[in-house]
Amino acid sequence: MFALPQKNFRAPTTCLGPTCTQDMDRSHGDDLEGECSRKLDQKLPGVGDPVMLSSDTSYLSSRGRMIKWFWDLAEEGYRTYHMDEYDEDKNPSGIINLGTSENKLCFDLLSRRLSQSDMQWVEPSLLQYPDWRGHLFLREEVAKFLTFYCKSPVPLRPENVVVLNGGASLFSALATVLCEVGEAFLIPTPYYGAITQHVCLYGNVRLAYVYLDSEGVRVKGLILINPQNPLGDVYSTEELQEYLVFAKRHKLHVIVDEVYMLSVFEESVGYHSVLSLERLPDPQRTHVMWATSKDFGMSGLRFATLYTENKDVATAVASLCRYHGLSGLVQYQMAQLLRDRDWINQVYLPENHARLKAAHTYVSEELRALGIPFLSRGAGFFIWVDLRKYLPKGTFEEEMLLWRRFLDNKVLLSFGKAFECKEPGWFRFVFSDQAHRLRLGMQRVRQVLTGKSQVAEDPHPSQTQKPSDQCSSAELLKLCFSPGPPSPIKQN
Amino acid sequence: MSRRSDTLPVPSGQTRSQVLRDQSIYTQLLEVMWHLQQTMREHFVQLMSRQGLLQERRHIQAIREQEALLSRLLCQMINLLQSGATSGLEPQPLSSEDSRGDVRYGQGTQLAGQPDPVPQLSDCEATFVTRDLSNRGTDISALYWSSFQDYNAYQKDKYHKDKNPLGFINLGTSENKLCIDLMAERLQESDMNCVEEALLQYPDWRGQPFLREEVARFLTYYCRAPAPLDPENVVVLNGCCSVFSALAMVLCDPGEAFLVPTPFYGGFAFSSRLYAKVELIPVHLESKITAINTYPFQLTVDKLEEALFEARLKGKDIRGLVLTNPQNPLGDIYSPDSLMKYLEFAKRHDLHVIIDEIYMLSVFDESITFHSVLSMKSLPDRNRTHVVWGTSKDFGISGFRFGALYTHNKEVASVVSAFGYLHSISGITQHKLCQLLRNTEWIDKVYLPTNRFRLREAHKYVTAKLKALEIPFHNRSSGLYVWINLKKYLDPCTFEEEQLLYRRFLDHKLLLSCGKAYMCKEPGWFCLIFADELPRLKLAMRRFCDVLEEQKQDLIVKQLEDAMRE
Repeated sequence: MFALPQKNFRAPTTCLGPTCTQDMDRSHGDDLEGECSRKLDQKLPGVGDPVMLSSDTSYLSSRGRMIKWFWDLAEEGYRTYHMDEYDEDKNPSGIINLGTSENKLCFDLLSRRLSQSDMQWVEPSLLQYPDWRGHLFLREEVAKFLTFYCKSPVPLRPENVVVLNGGASLFSALATVLCEVGEAFLIPTPYYGAITQHVCLYGNVRLAYVYLDSEGVRVKGLILINPQNPLGDVYSTEELQEYLVFAKRHKLHVIVDEVYMLSVFEESVGYHSVLSLERLPDPQRTHVMWATSKDFGMSGLRFATLYTENKDVATAVASLCRYHGLSGLVQYQMAQLLRDRDWINQVYLPENHARLKAAHTYVSEELRALGIPFLSRGAGFFIWVDLRKYLPKGTFEEEMLLWRRFLDNKVLLSFGKAFECKEPGWFRFVFSDQAHRLRLGMQRVRQVLTGKSQVAEDPHPSQTQKPSDQCSSAELLKLCFSPGPPSPIKQN
Repeated sequence: MSRRSDTLPVPSGQTRSQVLRDQSIYTQLLEVMWHLQQTMREHFVQLMSRQGLLQERRHIQAIREQEALLSRLLCQMINLLQSGATSGLEPQPLSSEDSRGDVRYGQGTQLAGQPDPVPQLSDCEATFVTRDLSNRGTDISALYWSSFQDYNAYQKDKYHKDKNPLGFINLGTSENKLCIDLMAERLQESDMNCVEEALLQYPDWRGQPFLREEVARFLTYYCRAPAPLDPENVVVLNGCCSVFSALAMVLCDPGEAFLVPTPFYGGFAFSSRLYAKVELIPVHLESKITAINTYPFQLTVDKLEEALFEARLKGKDIRGLVLTNPQNPLGDIYSPDSLMKYLEFAKRHDLHVIIDEIYMLSVFDESITFHSVLSMKSLPDRNRTHVVWGTSKDFGISGFRFGALYTHNKEVASVVSAFGYLHSISGITQHKLCQLLRNTEWIDKVYLPTNRFRLREAHKYVTAKLKALEIPFHNRSSGLYVWINLKKYLDPCTFEEEQLLYRRFLDHKLLLSCGKAYMCKEPGWFCLIFADELPRLKLAMRRFCDVLEEQKQDLIVKQLEDAMRE
């Protein structure tokens, strides 16, 4: 299972993107893309020694081998959790997942709502090839929904809405239609690391962390996440305006990911959607994303939406929707859900916020009791925790080892490196889980931090042999790719 | 009667405004080209008369002006061409008056002022740089809208018995609309509606284990696999085109290619090109019966060898062979023998074989046996054989977005699942699919017999009409389509005429697919989807007959005119 990371190779320091593209000229064109991949093939064995890449017996293309290499790294972490998932009855000593950002607090409400009779509608047009932008009835509902919850000064228009099967697909499609191969988006760090994969897999677009012209890469846009992940920060209108003006000055597209917009559980925090601004500095280059994965705790439903006034962008994204479509029946259910303003306002949101707040309070108090500093915000599903005092030398290797110790003590967290955080020692704790799991998870965290964990203090021997700089990217990928695997469903 | 005689060489199916816009772009282009020619001529004259000029400096200045103007005109031309190419359905912001004004302005400044070439150049560049889409984004949009604009027109103006009796009838998109009643009923049964926690959370990106198990069982049973198929070899994505796109990504590098016998479903060409930049190289099959071609469009190993050889000669890197069985649009079913030969050919050349069996349960003549590639005792090259199946055609639920890959190659299965999060299916839908596939009793006793019966009836109705019209067609008993030969309505028999006839069908609110879209080598073939409800099908066939009658009248008039001229 750990075969790959144990090979003595140096993984590229960031993700798939930079590696694929580091040799790219800035010119465009299909054949260049081909050239890039070929170069990559020759280059990688030199960079390290990934087994697959040097194997002559592989059935895959060179980009296929590349994707597999990264995917296997991701799978490694994925399987660790998957094979040993915590279950109160069946596997009480299994791993608790406080690493994946999912809201598991409101399943009862959701399942009740989704089981109501209005959700079971079936009609021929839902079973046939759709309008690839999403059924009109759904796009109308999305426009109304966003108008209301984003407090848009004018009604938003259904023709500016494109519906896809998830935020990942949307990032991928936007990267493809806005950037050439090898170009980049600017993104403030720490950020939700999976975006790196989303923009790279098909799009071959990379992320630039700080500077506009970093490493001679052409920056095409800026990605903002609001509320921010992992910080939980909410941008004020002034800040938002400032970022947008900056982007306009540099002719950058801005992708605003507002996937946590209804998960602001602290009433004192005023959330402002970019769609609520009276005037956007550059409406043609401002593209808003929203999805039900987080705010409605349904990451398995695969529903995301783009809102952009730019017809060309909407059209281009819609051209890719054939590959990122979702079932007509689910589209119908989503329309029903978004339309039910009474249920959302009176049942779901108050309850969801109350539960998020309670869970947040519990974890914050636990942390305070341990004397651990953290960023306390009133939005999102996570707390950004400062564990620097547990790293004597303050290196990423130690961060990694600490993360391993948590995992060995059966609690999965996300570490700062996965978010491209500059300082070693930060961790993201996801708190939006059921109380019993959360309590157990925190207990295991405490055991590790107070040195009372069941496992040996020393990390696994096989892991100590690892060259120190390899794990960062391996683990980074692990986290990028690791969503919470499902429990097998009982068939009846 | 005929709209074709009206105007210009513009396909008659376009709307008036579009014709006008195309016209204006056309004239603008001509105009710009004319100016370009003029300017170039002057440019050369100036260069030639260099010695005659007294003041060298003024001369250089003049040349710079000329160059600036030249490049600006070129820019304008490219802009016009681009706006023409991407215009698709929506009017572009580029207004024709503006650009024409620009041209005149350019002409004027050349005479009067002293324009600085540098800012002008960057102006032109700016129009490219500030385009909101990347080049590939523009390509994708253009490719999509050129391929699907008629489909989109249909989506906006669908026929409805009461609400829109003049709307489009679609016999061009391969959808089975005959059993929607059965499906709707089945999908409303109580076992279909399940909301479990795991269904709402991040899934296994290969597809939920319960669904992959069910798919493996289903394929074992219906493909008559000699041994139970392994759920670990199954990857489930949101549609067969997604499966194909992912396969093209992981089996080929950009610029590499697959071989594909044509006529062939064009959607796959689109899928391999869009993201993966993989080309499809046609193996052209012929309709004429000869010594080696014992039936129309026969696929032989010799043809495959020849096509492979030629492609390699041209420096193409061929990585695989794509087969559809039952074939779309021919409806041919490969015998186990020929299938084996194709697979052996592929093995000989280390080619992957992607076999699309998406119509495997739509064989409506019970005397014909379909042999899935998964039914073979031993595959020549199991690690390079990849089977694709989905519910869109066999169960008539294209709106469900479900496609499955079955491959013995663990490496391929694992890396295709890396695309899972970009092509994932909702957990709730996965549950429904699982329930659908596991109920083999309903499938065997209710669904399949009814579906076969209705397909047979619809096929019988359409082919009877075709016989009455003396239209030759490929008579097969599988799939949702008939491959028909309308050559006799084309004079001359060219792809342009085929396109015009296609437009004429469209004018009569009938959507068909023409042979060109299936990469057919011979003009004049059309694909007609018959799997539609009888009332709609009847009306569609009436429109079909009307068009052909009209076309025939035109041909007669044309022949008369030709005769008169002689």
